[in-house]
Amino acid sequence: MRSLTAKLAVPAGAVALTLALAGCAGGNSTSNAGDQTLTVDTSFVVKTLDPGTVYEQTGNIAVHALYDTLVTYEGSDVTTLQPELAESWEQSSDGTTWTFTLRDDAVFSDGAAVTAEDAVFSLNRLKNLQGSASQTVQGLDFAAEGDDTVVVTSATPNPDVPVILAMPAASVLNSAEAKKLGATDAEDAATSDQIGTQLDTASLGSGPYVLKSYDPSTKIVLTANPKYWGEQPAYSRVVIQNVDVQNQKLTISKAKGDEIALDLSGPQAAELSDDLQVSGVADTSYFLSLNQDPAVSAVTSNPAFIKALRLTVDGEGLAKLFGEGATPAAGLVPPAFAGALDESENPVQDLDGAKKLLADAGLSDVKVALVYPAITYRGVDLGTIVTKVQQDAKKAGIEIELTPQPINVFLQSQSEGKNEINFSPNSLNYPASSSLVNNMAPGASTSLRTGWTLERADQSAIDASNAVTAELTPEGRNEAMIEWQHVMNEVSPYIALANNAGIVVATSDLTGADYTPAGWTVDLAAIAGK
Amino acid sequence: MPPLLKMIGKRLLSAIVLLWGVTVVTFLLVNVVPGDAAAANLSQQAYDDPEIRAAFEAKWGLDQPIWVQYVRYLGNILQGDLGTSQQTHRPVAEDLSQYVPATIEIALPAMALAIVIAVGLGMLAAMRKNRPTDTGIRSAALVGLSTPPFWLALVALYVFFYLLGWVPNGGRLSNIYDPPPAVTGMYTVDAAIAGQWDVFGDALWHLVLPVGILTALTVSGLLRFVRSAMIEVLDAEYIRSAIAKGLPRRIITWRHVFRAGLLPVLTVSGLMLASLLGGAVLVEQVLSWPGLGQYAYKSAISLDLQAILGVTLFIAVVYTLINLLVDVLYSVIDPRIGAK
Repeated sequence: MRSLTAKLAVPAGAVALTLALAGCAGGNSTSNAGDQTLTVDTSFVVKTLDPGTVYEQTGNIAVHALYDTLVTYEGSDVTTLQPELAESWEQSSDGTTWTFTLRDDAVFSDGAAVTAEDAVFSLNRLKNLQGSASQTVQGLDFAAEGDDTVVVTSATPNPDVPVILAMPAASVLNSAEAKKLGATDAEDAATSDQIGTQLDTASLGSGPYVLKSYDPSTKIVLTANPKYWGEQPAYSRVVIQNVDVQNQKLTISKAKGDEIALDLSGPQAAELSDDLQVSGVADTSYFLSLNQDPAVSAVTSNPAFIKALRLTVDGEGLAKLFGEGATPAAGLVPPAFAGALDESENPVQDLDGAKKLLADAGLSDVKVALVYPAITYRGVDLGTIVTKVQQDAKKAGIEIELTPQPINVFLQSQSEGKNEINFSPNSLNYPASSSLVNNMAPGASTSLRTGWTLERADQSAIDASNAVTAELTPEGRNEAMIEWQHVMNEVSPYIALANNAGIVVATSDLTGADYTPAGWTVDLAAIAGK
Repeated sequence: MPPLLKMIGKRLLSAIVLLWGVTVVTFLLVNVVPGDAAAANLSQQAYDDPEIRAAFEAKWGLDQPIWVQYVRYLGNILQGDLGTSQQTHRPVAEDLSQYVPATIEIALPAMALAIVIAVGLGMLAAMRKNRPTDTGIRSAALVGLSTPPFWLALVALYVFFYLLGWVPNGGRLSNIYDPPPAVTGMYTVDAAIAGQWDVFGDALWHLVLPVGILTALTVSGLLRFVRSAMIEVLDAEYIRSAIAKGLPRRIITWRHVFRAGLLPVLTVSGLMLASLLGGAVLVEQVLSWPGLGQYAYKSAISLDLQAILGVTLFIAVVYTLINLLVDVLYSVIDPRIGAK
């Protein structure tokens, strides 16, 4: 009979062989070990790297590194636009026309000069492809004047135009090469554009990186653009790899090279070793929306009930559930953006006040249903958040029945406008707080999902919304957003709960790995070793 | 015509009807369950824009009545076109050609290892019935069966990657390597074909954890069947006669017990292999293994109809073929069955 040692020798030998093979360098090696590689760990949410249709987080990160936009933001700051392809820009006095003057030294990765024609082609294509990001440029018209001037006209005064044009979806393509591949900016581009997935195999941009390979399930590899018109990035190679959220904490904790992780939650980040750097900004708000259609709910459409439920919210307690970087919500605009309310305005839980409001309104034994997507978002199970809301409301005598739904079912039921209360996270489409008014003003798309029509809205909410859109400057709009939120806190069916932070974790020897609420999470080209 | 070939012919013909049925049922189910593909794929504001929503539905043929969509789909399938995935924007056939080999690369070794281990331990438990060895093996199997795959994957990752550093954190290949030239889609095989032995070693290293976890999970399920099958055979009169006649234990075990006990095990193994090939969703998810399970999961949450149909059809084909293979093997192992 063979001994146990002898029996174990076979599997042990197999493991040793595997490890030896893993360590050896064959004669036909394909190793990129000599490159300066930055590894990015993220749970993939990506469908395409085509700027005209890109919308998901992972795609935005890559597209921002592969392409340039007319203007951009630096680091985590989203209050001051910086020049990129445009060296200057100005708004007409009536607020409807923006003129961008392009720099003359920007070139695409094939060496061709970036012209106004390229920018106009790319922006018209974005508008006409009718993808998720197209909605942000509806109502805008684009025209080239010579090689270096792009004129954008808006049907209504719009000081947010440069902000919209900083988004990855507004990236500028090499139009001549794109046309050769079948791209078009025609009005019927949604059906006539034939580029397919070709921009997933080769990029046509002027950004600091070019695309080496794309696999939507495993990794996206970028290499430095040798013809980049700006300063060369520190890393010659960037590997964005698909790592499950549950796995990222272990991975970044064991990282030996230059590595960042993008999907850790606040509680996870708080447990990391001090050697790792954490950058985060509270840019996502979580809120309840109460249906204003009396046919759907006589309770949630009662203004006294909304006020009472608002008073039960324990913002501090909710922020603790989200962990590091999270804050109570004073209003609907997260603190990352200009126009947010000061933290001194954070609401204070007032259970007695809530009880009194309910009693005065004759509301007793109140029972309502709260519907939410049964998902973990940014590492936080949304069920834990609504359970806290439920418990706090119960202290004031409000019984909330929690109804988790699969995300697909939730999206549909929310759009049908038949839920009494919805709970969901909300991120801005572009980093201008006034963009919320487009969706959350009375009669706007999000509001209609909760039956908050113009007819049912308090006039003060309509006036405050109009006051925002009447402003012609970003500064004026941000100021108006303060008052808009005060009014919304009084008369809207929205109850802001807390703001959660997006987080970037980086190994200790990196600089520039700053989380940005701008839409591309982190600027890969800005990351360097110390 | 030999009975075996006749049986295979009949089964293949019925498989065509079965696969057609699968397309009908899947198509209906995807359209009946609550959820809207446009809502799942577009941003909220884009979804609320009637023009954008209409463009999305026109692009993916969702603006047509269900029966028109189905007839189109069936027509395309007959021409070898499984449609285009909404999530990857690539042909579903191309996606499957990438994800299926990744799953095969972990499923086949896991199944092979599981059969060897389960048969060995199952026979040992049967022969030591109700003794401490048997109790220990059964208890271990019970623990394995009760362990959620997701949890096991997380614990294995924590111990073998984080604490011990013996295995990588997931994925198919280290970042310093590019995938080998695609021939089979299985990195180990393709790297060996290309003579890229460093890539081969790295790919093999990445197999250790997923294969180990799937093996552990499969062994637990298989062991009980092996043990009961072997106990049944051990109690048979001809085995008792063989023992009474003084036949050597080795010959009784391997020539009589093993062969006879293998038949029911074969059926279960076939189903388990089919299940593994259908994608070990949770293990693939935790270990970022880009296989069929992950693809199916992502297709389901984004209501990617063409991809869901492609995956379902593939799994149906796998089950059909494996069942056929099991029946053929039955005939080989026990010729009396083939003759019936």
